[in-house]
Amino acid sequence: MKRCNWILLTTLVSVLSPVIARAADPDPTQLIQQAFDNWRGKSSYTEVSMTVHRPDWERSMSMLSWTRGDDDSLVRFTAPAKDAGNATLKLGDAMWIYNPRLSQILKLPASMMAQSWMGSDFSYNDLAKANAILTEYTHKLIGKQQQDGHVVFTIEALPKPQAATVWGKQIVRIRDDGVLLGEDYYDQDMQLVKAMQTRKVGPLGGRPYPVVMTMQKADKKDEWTRIQFSQGHFNLKLPNSLFTKSNLRNPRKFTFGGSE
Amino acid sequence: MLAGLAWRNLWRHPRRTVLNVISIAFASLVMVFLLSFQLGTYATMKENILRMLDGFAQVQPAGYKDNPDIRKVIAHPNKILKRLQTVDGVGAAAPRARSYAILSNGEKSVAAAVVGVDPVLETHVSRLNHSIRKGRYLQGNDQAVIVLGSSLARNLHVGVGDHVSMLGQARDGSVAADVLTVIGIFHTGTPDVDRQFAEIPLARFQTSFVMDSAVNLLVLSGPTLAGVTHALPRVRKALANTHVQVYDWQQLQPGLDAAISLDLNTSMLWYVSLVVVVVFIILNTLLMSVLERTREFGVLLAVGMRPSLLGRMIWLELSLLALLGLALGMLIGGGATLIYSHVGINMPGAETFFAQWGLPGKLYPRLSLLSLSAGPGVLAICILLAGIFPYRRVRRLEPVAAMRSA
Repeated sequence: MKRCNWILLTTLVSVLSPVIARAADPDPTQLIQQAFDNWRGKSSYTEVSMTVHRPDWERSMSMLSWTRGDDDSLVRFTAPAKDAGNATLKLGDAMWIYNPRLSQILKLPASMMAQSWMGSDFSYNDLAKANAILTEYTHKLIGKQQQDGHVVFTIEALPKPQAATVWGKQIVRIRDDGVLLGEDYYDQDMQLVKAMQTRKVGPLGGRPYPVVMTMQKADKKDEWTRIQFSQGHFNLKLPNSLFTKSNLRNPRKFTFGGSE
Repeated sequence: MLAGLAWRNLWRHPRRTVLNVISIAFASLVMVFLLSFQLGTYATMKENILRMLDGFAQVQPAGYKDNPDIRKVIAHPNKILKRLQTVDGVGAAAPRARSYAILSNGEKSVAAAVVGVDPVLETHVSRLNHSIRKGRYLQGNDQAVIVLGSSLARNLHVGVGDHVSMLGQARDGSVAADVLTVIGIFHTGTPDVDRQFAEIPLARFQTSFVMDSAVNLLVLSGPTLAGVTHALPRVRKALANTHVQVYDWQQLQPGLDAAISLDLNTSMLWYVSLVVVVVFIILNTLLMSVLERTREFGVLLAVGMRPSLLGRMIWLELSLLALLGLALGMLIGGGATLIYSHVGINMPGAETFFAQWGLPGKLYPRLSLLSLSAGPGVLAICILLAGIFPYRRVRRLEPVAAMRSA
């Protein structure tokens, strides 16, 4: 009898194991949410340098970046001296730019959203509509592979019907611990337009993080933009006054409120 | 002798001949006038649109046309300008630098194409200075000033004397920022230009956008579009080793070129129908007259006239008829065209539609060798070809049978 049970059990396991394994596939929407949470938490403060590379030319900038939730962010440039003080505030879908030479705030016109941000391969849309992939797209897990002791999930994101989206398709690669490894952007004709790739994963603010990433247009092999994170703190208590136009114009001294 | 005979034959039925002459004359008149009108409109369209901004041709850095990046520049424009001066047919050349930037006034901000121009040279290649409605155009020693399109000024809520902030991206990747005083507002009637176009002095642009002495393109102009277009091979030769590209107007305004071709092709259908109808009318009366005169032809053959000579006579009658009609039509058509090319034709109610093609409310036909001869020429060829039918009929006649026919 006991022996009989044993056989039954092994049979059951062998029959059911693929089912169990499939059931263990994570929900793609949750994976993307997880990647966003890892990327910026409830709030974040990061120090970033950005390098824009062109065949005959290269330029580096440094900036401080604050985020609150999915929608709000503030970026302030600190170097080179020529650009220091320029800042971008994003609240929801709206963006404002502060320029110290004009000592003036300009609201970014909608027609500029597709233009390059600070001369990089990122557009204003990439910043303003980064989380559209969560809200405006449907997600499907299309691949799964082992890489450096992790499972990497590939997710296809297609626009929801009637959603006004920038892209026709996005392919996202996310590691099982929520680290974003890459994002490919396709136009409405399903042609690859540009691709973001994580070049290095390292610890940042006590979590595994894509600390070096590049953005590259599909047809331009020797043109890219690299962003590198040197400091990161997540789930901070950030004062609400940080994400205001008056702070954009007259920056208050920023001090850490400590993690929650 | 044969021609005299043919001539006399024509006037044996004066009414029929006159009617035929009138229909040929009318068809060729219509074609001369309409084609002149059409070609005149195209020429006005091309010149008005091109003279407004683009110029008759442009010299650009390689790859700039497809991807107008501010970093693609002509580093030493003066060297190239000097070489252009030596080329016959190029009347004027002016340097420009341009970028897409945000213009802002308080809460209002709008994206616009901001172009740095040499205030003096620019007036030789562009007529934007004639479209100034308020204030004035740029002048030689202007500094922090800007001229804007009328819709752009309205969207920004600014008038002459107000300040506008400009924020863009400089050639070195840094942020270009400047505060400019609105000194003039232009209204061209072309919505795109009025809505998103602004000009500032080139020197100011070069400072703000860290251009040194570089520019993004050179605009060429001259007394006539054809003259500049013909000079382009010489321009290319003169600039052979400079890494720049020379573009003609069709490459600068492919949409305009396509619109003109489309319009011309559509009207070709009408011209062809007109020719076909007229040719059939002529052919019809001609065959009728040949049929009527079968007896007469029989007699002529019986007294020894060779059939080929008879055929030639019929052909000659037809040619004389065509010649008469065409000459009359070209005379009246050409005359009317000449008169209207000075007086102009008013097109009431079409101003807004015309404005988007850079056309004024009054259009002027232009008489040219082409417009005068193309329509009548085609008509002549068709009539002479149609003459084969009566010719062949006459040559088949048998004298006895012909004389017996009623």
